[in-house]
Amino acid sequence: MSDSEKAALPQQETTAGVVAVIEIGSTGIRLVVAQVDASGAISILDRAGKPTRIGRDVFTSGLVSREAMRESMAVLLSFRELLRGYGIGPAEARVIATSALREADNRDTFVDRIALQTGFRVTVIEDIEENHLMYLAVQHALQEEWRLVSRSNAMILEVGGGSTEIMLLRRGRMAGAHSLRIGTVRVDELIRGSGSTPDFLHQFLEDNVRTACDLLDGELPLDTVKTFILVGSDARLAATRTASEHAEEYSVIPREAFVSFADEVASLSAEDCVARLRVPWSEAESLGAGLSIERLFLDRTGAEKVVVPNVSIREGLLLTAARGPDPEHQEEMRRQIVASAASLGRKFRFDEDHATQVARLSLSLYDALARDHGLGARERILLEVAALLHDIGSYIRTSGHHKHSEYLIQNSEIFGLSKGELTIVANVARYHRKQPPANTHINYIALAREDRIVVLKLAAILRVADALDRGHDQRVGEAAFERREDRLIIRADTESRPGPVDLSLERLSLAEKGDMFEDVFGIEPVLA
Amino acid sequence: MKSPYLFNRELSWLEFNARVLEEALDPSIPLLERLKFLSIVTSNFDEFFMVRVASLKAQIRSGSDIARDPSGLTPEETLAAISKRTREIVGRQYDCLLREILPGLALRGFDVVRPSGWKPQERRWLESWFSDRVAPLLTPLRVEGDETFQSAGNLRVHVAFTVRREDGGPVKEAGSIKDDDTGEGVEEAMAIVQVPPNLDRFIRLPSDEPGLRFALVDDLVRSFGARLFPGYEVRDSILFKVTRDADIGVDEDRDDDFLAAMEEVIEDRLNSYPVRLSVSSDSEALAERVRLALGLSPDDVYTLPGPIDLKSFMELAANEGTGSDPGLADLHYEPWPPVKAEELPEGTTIWDELRAHDRLLHVPYESFDPVVRFLEEAASDPAVLAIKMTLYRTSGNSPVVRALTRAARSGKLVSVLVEVKARFDEERNIAWASRLEQAGAIVIYGLARLKVHAKAALVVRREEGGAVRRYLHLSTGNYNDKTARLYGDLSIFTSNEDLCREASAFFNMVTGYSTVQELRHLAVAPFDLKARVISMIEREAQRSTAEAPGLIMAKMNALADVDVISALYRASAAGVRILLNVRGICMLVPGVKGLSENISVVSVVGRNLEHTRILFFANGGAEELYLSSADWMPRNLERRIELMFPVLDETLRKRVRDILEAYFRDSAKAHRLGPSGRWKRVEPAEGEEPFSSQAWFYESVKRRHDLEEAPPERELQVRRRPTTGA
Repeated sequence: MSDSEKAALPQQETTAGVVAVIEIGSTGIRLVVAQVDASGAISILDRAGKPTRIGRDVFTSGLVSREAMRESMAVLLSFRELLRGYGIGPAEARVIATSALREADNRDTFVDRIALQTGFRVTVIEDIEENHLMYLAVQHALQEEWRLVSRSNAMILEVGGGSTEIMLLRRGRMAGAHSLRIGTVRVDELIRGSGSTPDFLHQFLEDNVRTACDLLDGELPLDTVKTFILVGSDARLAATRTASEHAEEYSVIPREAFVSFADEVASLSAEDCVARLRVPWSEAESLGAGLSIERLFLDRTGAEKVVVPNVSIREGLLLTAARGPDPEHQEEMRRQIVASAASLGRKFRFDEDHATQVARLSLSLYDALARDHGLGARERILLEVAALLHDIGSYIRTSGHHKHSEYLIQNSEIFGLSKGELTIVANVARYHRKQPPANTHINYIALAREDRIVVLKLAAILRVADALDRGHDQRVGEAAFERREDRLIIRADTESRPGPVDLSLERLSLAEKGDMFEDVFGIEPVLA
Repeated sequence: MKSPYLFNRELSWLEFNARVLEEALDPSIPLLERLKFLSIVTSNFDEFFMVRVASLKAQIRSGSDIARDPSGLTPEETLAAISKRTREIVGRQYDCLLREILPGLALRGFDVVRPSGWKPQERRWLESWFSDRVAPLLTPLRVEGDETFQSAGNLRVHVAFTVRREDGGPVKEAGSIKDDDTGEGVEEAMAIVQVPPNLDRFIRLPSDEPGLRFALVDDLVRSFGARLFPGYEVRDSILFKVTRDADIGVDEDRDDDFLAAMEEVIEDRLNSYPVRLSVSSDSEALAERVRLALGLSPDDVYTLPGPIDLKSFMELAANEGTGSDPGLADLHYEPWPPVKAEELPEGTTIWDELRAHDRLLHVPYESFDPVVRFLEEAASDPAVLAIKMTLYRTSGNSPVVRALTRAARSGKLVSVLVEVKARFDEERNIAWASRLEQAGAIVIYGLARLKVHAKAALVVRREEGGAVRRYLHLSTGNYNDKTARLYGDLSIFTSNEDLCREASAFFNMVTGYSTVQELRHLAVAPFDLKARVISMIEREAQRSTAEAPGLIMAKMNALADVDVISALYRASAAGVRILLNVRGICMLVPGVKGLSENISVVSVVGRNLEHTRILFFANGGAEELYLSSADWMPRNLERRIELMFPVLDETLRKRVRDILEAYFRDSAKAHRLGPSGRWKRVEPAEGEEPFSSQAWFYESVKRRHDLEEAPPERELQVRRRPTTGA
């Protein structure tokens, strides 16, 4: 993994004291300063934000314009000054950029110029990471309520300038996470460009949201969604005007109240929004479209209330910055990543028992070989996901299904995994059978060298685990692994199964697929 | 067509000045203090004419907009009413001066002597004083056409003379003097002389007798002015003062009510049109000529039976006497030295104290020192990272600016939002502001189109364990150690994290770091303060029931926002009891059946200038109490940066509420507004002593201080049966 990816992942060391995060978004540059106490609890000290036109630039021309750069630089310099009041230097602040900059062709120039002129080091994060940070923030804001949320099905939605982030939770487990390329700034540009009427806008949004919802329905029937969680400044504005209850970190809006507010705002011009709702221009322009999109999603769910946490991606970033390696939290994240992967598997009708068995065996092997592979907790999660999904290509066709698996994984979204990580998982799945990696495999050689080694090691393990369930009937049970000099002794757990167990198929398969394992680890796997 | 629902803003202001005059009329007040009130009446009028009357006249001149104001009057009707009422007030003012104050002071050996009272030897002494010290500074201008009068400076005292040649010849030969009406060969000519403003107006006469005698420098110029025109004889002379459309020399802090209005006038300052002429009663004919030359109407002329320009009598009123003089102590108020805060226990800091509890400061009853100390400690404490504050108006040499400079020099982030629009002070302000900048502070010179009137100071400190803690001071009054001795203001010190966080957000907005953010505790004008006030009034109305009627108590300097007034009317109709204490302008009509019968309005004018803004809402038992920098005027609510902040600490709430309620108990310095617009003095109940809220404030501050200072009880309580006598 590259450094830029690591920055957003929950592996930071704890920094007690004061933390600052800055988000360069498509509509604004925003800052949060927070205090972290020894227990990791966070309290917000300060916020600031200024509108920018980065999104507008990038979604129309693909470039951040010179004016936008200058504006952004001025804002960042003023933030640097603000942070000086907390004794924080620019290098200590965590600065991320989201969809707009991610898509800008001149993003590297921009990031470099920011570093030179302001001292801030910007990390451009992946879209799916936005989901991850959002999830953290929402969970944190809802605190005790989160348990209630976990009892029913829920949707978390944020409509941003350049993208819409969606997470579906089935009884608290991640059933899907997506980043759609619908955003208020994008929509606004589209409308301006085409000179279209508001009716056209509505039709356009409706079509887009319907298509998106039809896809989501496959992961979780949307009418079973009882908790609708809405994140973002549009939602927070709606909450201040229409909420029926306000808790410390979130508000609740009755469904009808939200719908009528969204409809009312949709009928207003930006001028009226400024005058009547007392919102700044920069927000007024996107308010109508944002609320309309949110309303269309709400229509598809069975939720009676809209829950609006008073957080943003910045709080998520703060949490990752503040928490450090908290094992409990890490485990929770692992479960959600795995749940999201399983949900993807179900979508492609995988053999869940087989997938689960292979995943279990893979992890046991991984743990038994800890000293041989030298990899960490993060790679363990990648292995688990790859093991769960290695066969999903069969949905398309059994023949060559490892290649289909690779393709499907590469083009799906899994909560909590970055694009780079997804590529590793896709490669691991691809090499679960047939030919091992070769110099002619484009997708493999496109990986960074250290990532290729990860793929090799994980694929080697996955092959062995898959061989051990060749019959797809979990006959080896919870096999035990014993490392003995140059050999790995595998003992099947056949006790629990009635009658004699025939492991000949597995032995055969192991002989066929164990070659890579021997090559990579220099150990011969032997089924006892 | 007059509106029965709103009082005219200007006429309401005149009543305020009439209440100031009432203080001068009060025989229970020491003479020099009464003189001071007389001089305040004049300086209030000066500013009122420069700003309000000038703007009415400009409105008429422009002709485009002759709309009626909210009270239903046209500008012409308003001007006529102003002229009438001003004459009444000025008449009483001079009556009081000439019949009571000056004779009373003379009896106490403190004599202002006009020319008719100069003894011959005094006259000789004054004449040589004039020749030596005054005449060299004078520049007589011969009047040629009316333009000459355009040079008559705003609010400066001038003398106008008519002269003719001693030989009786036509004046024309003298050169440039000419009279349009009579053509050539006129017998008389006119000249004007400005009394130099940098001369002391009061000249102490030498005397062997005890007591003090003063002559006025303007009387000297008039009496000996003939020496300026050799070969001519002075036929006639008068003293006059022109008031012009506001331009220069307005003391903005004299009364806050004028400030933003001034700004507007200054913006489209085309020319400094004359708006008023004050003249002495020495020559009607000459007064008429001056009037015509200035293009004023007879309504604009105020003929004064005594010294003109009582404003400078302030200097005299401030006279404390010198060592050899008879004691003047009884001519002044009994002093109320500000009560000093008790020392902090050894080894504790102001931060320790503020972490433990919030703190209230009531100036001028309590000393302003804690504010200075707050900033000084912040400046010298190495743990302090940043200081942010607003400086609406302060003196360059103030301890506040010194502390900030020191803090900036020691590398702290100091950001200061200054207002340099006080015109007189502009240069001086810029000087200290750039000194601050040189020391490394970030200085923000105000915001476009919005004057920053909020008063807040925030200190950011890094404490043990790396945690950041903030300390906040929020006030209803300026960071000015001088006005803090005269203006009644409340402020709080707190380390409440919610308030500090929101204050941070406020500073982010006003220093340009951030766009406007929604806040929960603080309300900020021009963003949400007005809407918050109105919604709180409406909430009170909704919660009010016949069994438990709502209650709103509020104190401010002026009430002139029609939207807020309408909300108050609706609340009154819903049964909410509303007690208002409004020092100055009040456009709300109280006590009208079906409209405002539940509203009562009182005004307190006393020795200290009332400046606090307090708001209380019963809120169905969940009482809310706020302090604010803002008056309820459109200008404050819509065109200024103002703050309203809650008092959250229980102990402080109780104290602030007691203070607020004291105003409604006042039966010494209070007036009550009737539905007709008349203000009636509030009298103590039968057989009761008058209650003065300001006196009570001072006593309670002292009492609390004494309690804190008192040593703990030493005596032991011994338990035993009562002894019987035998």
